Amino acid sequence: MTTASRTELRLEVEDFLYHEARLLDERRFHEWLDLFTEDLVYWMPTRSNRLRKDIANEIAQPDHLAYFNDDLAMLKGRVARLDTDMAWAEDPPSRTQHMVYNVQIDGVEGDELQVHCSFILYRNRLETEVDIWCGYRDDVLRRVAGQFKIARRKIVLAQNVITAKNLSVFF
Amino acid sequence: MSMLDSHDKTTEPIDYTVLVQAEQGLVSRRIFIDPDIYEQELARVFGRCWLFLGHESQLPQPGDFFCTYMGEDPVLVTRAKDGQIRAFLNSCRHRGMKVCRADEGNTEAFTCSYHAWTYASDGRLIGVPHYKEAYFEELDRAQWGLVPVAQLDAYRGLIFATWDSTAPTLDEYLGDMKYYLDLQFGRRPGGTEMIPGTHKWQIPCNWKFAADNFVGDLYHAPYSHGSAVKVQGRTQAAHRRRAATMQVNPGGGHGMGVHRPDLDESRGARPAVVENYIEATRPEMAQHLSYDQAYRVAPVHSTIFPNFSFLNNGTIRVWHPKGPEKMEVWAWVVVEKDAPPEVKRAMLRNAQYNFSASGIFEQDDGENWNQCSASNRGYIGRRQDFNYQMGLGHEERMEEFPGRRGFAFSEINQRGFYKRWREMMLLDTWDELRPGLRNSGER
Repeated sequence: MTTASRTELRLEVEDFLYHEARLLDERRFHEWLDLFTEDLVYWMPTRSNRLRKDIANEIAQPDHLAYFNDDLAMLKGRVARLDTDMAWAEDPPSRTQHMVYNVQIDGVEGDELQVHCSFILYRNRLETEVDIWCGYRDDVLRRVAGQFKIARRKIVLAQNVITAKNLSVFF
Repeated sequence: MSMLDSHDKTTEPIDYTVLVQAEQGLVSRRIFIDPDIYEQELARVFGRCWLFLGHESQLPQPGDFFCTYMGEDPVLVTRAKDGQIRAFLNSCRHRGMKVCRADEGNTEAFTCSYHAWTYASDGRLIGVPHYKEAYFEELDRAQWGLVPVAQLDAYRGLIFATWDSTAPTLDEYLGDMKYYLDLQFGRRPGGTEMIPGTHKWQIPCNWKFAADNFVGDLYHAPYSHGSAVKVQGRTQAAHRRRAATMQVNPGGGHGMGVHRPDLDESRGARPAVVENYIEATRPEMAQHLSYDQAYRVAPVHSTIFPNFSFLNNGTIRVWHPKGPEKMEVWAWVVVEKDAPPEVKRAMLRNAQYNFSASGIFEQDDGENWNQCSASNRGYIGRRQDFNYQMGLGHEERMEEFPGRRGFAFSEINQRGFYKRWREMMLLDTWDELRPGLRNSGER
């Protein structure tokens, strides 16, 4: 791939990720759900403190305990919950700002792209509650009918203990 | 009445007989916020009770270790070369540096990063740099090993320890609660195992809100968890199952919500593959434990006093105190070793989807406990009592099962929890504390 076409592809991916972030910040969760494929895996592993010699085990395996390990139906369940008017952790809703940056395309295979990015998710809630989550995402984007869809999302937080009372927002 | 009268619970000296009147279903909000009470709690509750450390399956090999806390004290749990599980204060005897800062792993020895005092995994001090030149070989290394817990024992794979050498054995401490623990951790002869990975998150609340919730609060479920129950289409089913659920108070401050499958054959909330597996293994359980435990009582929710809780979906957790207004949840999923892989997988996914920092049930608990706790900061708020009167006077001793019971919503177990908490705060010796381990028939 030429530098120009690589840059063009990255800009296209960035546009998609910014659009996604905006949907979340504007609480357009049903439109957000449309961005995922039917075979979605939405995964946030736990992360432990390990000695350097053991650092390969820092991030838990897919069959280990995870903060999220959702398929599309489970993710839809989380959004449906918000519509019940009884999801107290998000009612009144949080104010979020999703910042996505350091976007890199790690690989292209047929219809699929491996996309790495960093993120900062700022959450402000009720009167003065503030949470800041930082980390990186490894996404698999798939072109479906000319549009990007997210087929895999691995979210790795730069935290050991989650310094928040819940993870009631989306990453 | 003057605002500053002699009964002002916020300014009077601490009197636990006034603050906790469990027999009347009244608990002062001061005990959830007062820093002096919190300090006493660290000593009298967390310094003396049996506390949950972890699961035996976390330490399969000699040299394996993991870190946790007992109260606010960092603790290192190891399996030494002799195969024994031990636990120590995770703090070098020289200047107090943590000797282990990894969450878990395997190692030959623990070397303090400050001056390199080195300890074997059985706690012995085996290395002191410059032993000859600096200590003239006069330091008695045998006296300066890691500070061990006073007692450590395991029940059904669950490791507990206490700092108090005068505390009763774990067996006596759990008492009648063992009958109910067996319903979850002793169902099958092969025992249980922990799925790797720990959920850890911080909720700005007093730890007792969580322990109190898991010991006996089914009352909150229909409304607190209304969104999750609704989305899962279980509003009616949950209502029906509660009608066949009782709160069991076996003494010691422990408690469990117990479903009666012999009175209600409806399907539980776990995934079908899990519910089918539970059904299919009942005959074996009847052989292994007893007919009643297999067919007539089943766990729903539970707290082992003071801060170990679990649910029948496999989530187990410790509510680590981190100050009067902060708690750290450490949660895991425990499954049966001999369960088929698809059952283990379904248990894990279901438990973490519902109960974890992101859990569609548990998110809302954190929100509630946070605000419940913060509301005690104000002067007027602190003066009030909480009401624990639900089902007061409607408890009864059971003929067929250990302990006393109340109906599903009854706050019998919260009253038992705070009664035990008051005993821990008031009574100085285990001779005085021992009778409270049994449910003597009082409210």
